[in-house]
Amino acid sequence: MNRLNTQISGIRLDNPFILASGILDENGYTMKRVLDEGAAAVVTKSIGISERSGYRTPVVVEIDGRNMINAIGLANPGIDNFGEEMKIARESMKPVIGSVFGSTAEEFAQLSMKMEAYGASAIELNLSCPHVKGFGQEVGSDPDLVESIVGEVKRSVKIPVFAKLSPNISDMLEIAKAAEKADAYVLINTVKAMAIDIYARMPVLSNSFGGLSGPCIKPVGIRYVYEVKRETGKEIIGVGGIRTGEDALEYIMAGASCVEIGTAVHSDGRDIFKKLSLETGNIMKSEKIESIGEIIGAAIRR
Amino acid sequence: MMHSEVIDVEDNTPTVKTIYFEWKQEAKPGQFIMAWVPGTGEIPISLSSTDTIKSITVKSYGPASDAITKLKRGSRIFFRGPYGRPFSTVSGPALLIGGGSGMASLRPLITKDTDAIVSARTAAELLFSDRIMGGKLFEVTDDGSAGIRGNPIDALSTIDLEKYKMTYVCGPEIMLKKVFDFLNRSQIRAEFAMERLMKCGIGVCDSCSVDGFQLCRDGSIFSIEELRGMTEFGRTKLTESGKRIYLNY
Repeated sequence: MNRLNTQISGIRLDNPFILASGILDENGYTMKRVLDEGAAAVVTKSIGISERSGYRTPVVVEIDGRNMINAIGLANPGIDNFGEEMKIARESMKPVIGSVFGSTAEEFAQLSMKMEAYGASAIELNLSCPHVKGFGQEVGSDPDLVESIVGEVKRSVKIPVFAKLSPNISDMLEIAKAAEKADAYVLINTVKAMAIDIYARMPVLSNSFGGLSGPCIKPVGIRYVYEVKRETGKEIIGVGGIRTGEDALEYIMAGASCVEIGTAVHSDGRDIFKKLSLETGNIMKSEKIESIGEIIGAAIRR
Repeated sequence: MMHSEVIDVEDNTPTVKTIYFEWKQEAKPGQFIMAWVPGTGEIPISLSSTDTIKSITVKSYGPASDAITKLKRGSRIFFRGPYGRPFSTVSGPALLIGGGSGMASLRPLITKDTDAIVSARTAAELLFSDRIMGGKLFEVTDDGSAGIRGNPIDALSTIDLEKYKMTYVCGPEIMLKKVFDFLNRSQIRAEFAMERLMKCGIGVCDSCSVDGFQLCRDGSIFSIEELRGMTEFGRTKLTESGKRIYLNY
């Protein structure tokens, strides 16, 4: 057995690296290529009930080549048009996790059932997109609504259900508890942010606000993973600013069973997946760590 | 986001303008910038000059491109880049095949050694055919108002291609596909500049991908060998929402 093997809610992963939602995951051929090039699994772009074009450009702001702010605006073809992309992505024979967004428990359940029918290995509930009115974080900051969404989706599908939560709320633990029927948490989504061009005297993003991602948010992600793992003990997928093997192991020792990679695809290219597996494997070898499982949450102090 | 001052604006055809600005950054033929019009939008545009004085050549097709064609000398132009993998450069004779505003990204490749097939719908829309210096020029129009009536293949089929070290192609995908199919039978070297809807320009949003390759990063220039393996080329693409549509050629 390879020391990089891990699992999340019973889904076996060749390595702990999963492509995060919103990055290179709108086109089935791209998801297939990312999987063929070394990702253990991919999460699809968040899919809703109906087709949305998203915001007009600019939809991203680059910061120093490593970090970025985005407000794509939940562009998606609608669940009924997404079957072909799922079929193409699944030719890789690796897990494809379907991300969905809605505004009611019924919508989330309907979307999740369709994703399951398309062959998704798990569902990731987008309860945390920071930049679209009526969806994401607005839904995900209401504990009662979160509880009913997670409950309804769990009743509707047999595959594991992951709840992706927002750092842009005052008490993530309250929301995590409301989502406790989920099989695992995905922590964290992007941090709500903005950038202004002083020569144009206006925000760069057409939506003004967006979500900050990249190495600059890693300490925020580490803190949430650590705290939620310590308080709930539940499985966690860590995400936020990972671009080296050390970053990945830091998340795992904070309590993550595996991690998602997003913005590092921008700074390092699709090769990041191979690079992360190599680096992580080398560190584990020199630190005499035989498996991912033995170090999950190893840093937690009670 | 960077900005510079527009130093000249040139009318090329009734619908196409070239905007010149100073930007010392090194850039190569085939690369592009994301040009931003504050409050209106941001679009990818190929560089039509790649020296210290850079230029973009723009046709109005939407709010942002329309606003760019209205820039005047002294206006501020906002942009980021350069992005993309450039054309390979070769020494010796080369052939350019440009359709419509596709000639814009081929212009920096023009030397005394380049022949060109310049095609457009009408004579008035032929872009940069007046810039071909020394080499042979073949003009092609849909309506026959200048040169050969038809498409670039009608000119291509009369040329001995063996003498070229490289053939560079840029234009609408329907044209790229026709040229690709024609050249695919031969052993000649060719590179194609592809076009897709592009949102981020930095290899993350997946809007511009073809067969898992991001045009903004792995392209937008692809060799004929690379195109051979692509199932989406000339067949399907994704819309702004990510919905797959079929190209009916």
